[in-house]
Amino acid sequence: MAGQASGRIDDTMLVREAQRGNRAAFEELVRSYDQAVLRLALHLTGSEHEAQDVYQEAFLKAYKSIGNFRFECSFYTWIYRIVTNLCLDHLRKRQVRKEDAPVATDASGEQYDVLDQVPDGRSGANPERDLMRRELGKRISHALEKLTPRERMVFELKHYHGLKLRTVGEVLHTTEETAKNTLFRATQKLRGALADMR
Amino acid sequence: MKCEWVKENVLLYVYNELPDDARYELEQHLARCADCTAELKTARKFHTMLSELPVEEPSPNLVAASRMRLQEGLETAEQGRFWHRLIFDPAAWLRQVRFAPALAAAIFIVGFAGGIATTYKVVSDRGASIASVPVSTPAESSITGIQSISQDPGSNHISIKYNTVSTQEAQGSLNDQRIQQLLLFAARNNYNSGVRMDSVDLLTQEPNNTHVREALMYALRYDSNPGVRLKALDSLGPFVKSDPRVRDVVLEALIQDSNPGVRTDALRLLDPVRADSSVRTVLQELARSDQNQYIRSQARIMLSQLPEFD
Repeated sequence: MAGQASGRIDDTMLVREAQRGNRAAFEELVRSYDQAVLRLALHLTGSEHEAQDVYQEAFLKAYKSIGNFRFECSFYTWIYRIVTNLCLDHLRKRQVRKEDAPVATDASGEQYDVLDQVPDGRSGANPERDLMRRELGKRISHALEKLTPRERMVFELKHYHGLKLRTVGEVLHTTEETAKNTLFRATQKLRGALADMR
Repeated sequence: MKCEWVKENVLLYVYNELPDDARYELEQHLARCADCTAELKTARKFHTMLSELPVEEPSPNLVAASRMRLQEGLETAEQGRFWHRLIFDPAAWLRQVRFAPALAAAIFIVGFAGGIATTYKVVSDRGASIASVPVSTPAESSITGIQSISQDPGSNHISIKYNTVSTQEAQGSLNDQRIQQLLLFAARNNYNSGVRMDSVDLLTQEPNNTHVREALMYALRYDSNPGVRLKALDSLGPFVKSDPRVRDVVLEALIQDSNPGVRTDALRLLDPVRADSSVRTVLQELARSDQNQYIRSQARIMLSQLPEFD
């Protein structure tokens, strides 16, 4: 279609339309952010089901409160704030749940959380390497769980989703400096937890 | 001493978060210091290792399922607060209707999703009866859809069937507020493109009014049916010169509508304003590189009729 290069309708216009109650405009907005939101929720929770829950809650919340959006930050930041807060809630709930979480032991004698389902889309020709990968993945996952929810969130946003520390600060309603220090702490903790991994 | 600073900042370096001058200094130091270079290597290794827990792209199924579930959720979501931001100004509307010609009427946009308790009066300049629709409770006034719209040929009489809990019918002229509200609702929200077409058709009879014009611009921008978009476009055409918003929306349609018929029509309708700088810029681009041959040549012709400057 000629003219596609001229780009999609401006976000600002869509937001204003959505604020007037235009659901189609809101759905259009959702479409530009929803993959990123799902990606984040999926990696953080490790579960498609929970990722979907976070997604649903986040966008419903956005829909209900878009009337309060005053363009004081970018819409991108605003959406990420909503999702991040929900993710933080999720992480805090998980911490509590962990105390009584059902624990099983796998073939190598490693304990793992039955609730921990890391989706692994990579299927290789080398099953042994795949298994090793999965093990590493699990260990990293466990190490990440040792972080506080905030540390985990900062690390997640910075390392896995490439957000600039400045944005991370904005999203978490704090300064870039604080985000930086949190990143340091998180990295130190992770290095400690994964020290024997080469 | 420098090594301490470097070691503190190596993490930020790996994440590309160092400002340019710090980054430069760090790299200069690394070139001379084996210790710190080793430190960087370790940091990088660790960084890479963490990708053993990769960020998976959500599967198309997951995306689709999530979207569908959200749509359902949006339908039942509490919308109460939005709809209070009515664009409708009762006083202005009444003033306008009093001096409007026969078919003209003030039209306003009011949301119906979830039901609203509203009161409105209908005033006709012809001195027809003033009907007052009483305040209804949300449940009673919640409209789930417009079933059909028809106009008696050669008359002002319009009949609209809309659904609330059961199918109801509203009858009246284009002056009738209730009729207008329903027309606007239909133009924006109805799933049946035929009904949307009918409502836009009726609305095109009075594009002079701001709110009708907004509804038509909305239809041109967002309606999924090209026939509806074309209808709205044709009605907005005459206002391209007097209303810059209309010009911009028509320009947008020219640039990015998926239907070639809509695009050619938009091009034709922009002729009176071809000298406008924004239009001219678009014409130049189209003349140069548009995929559609007719549009390319038409744009060239229109440009050739413009005086040369800059």
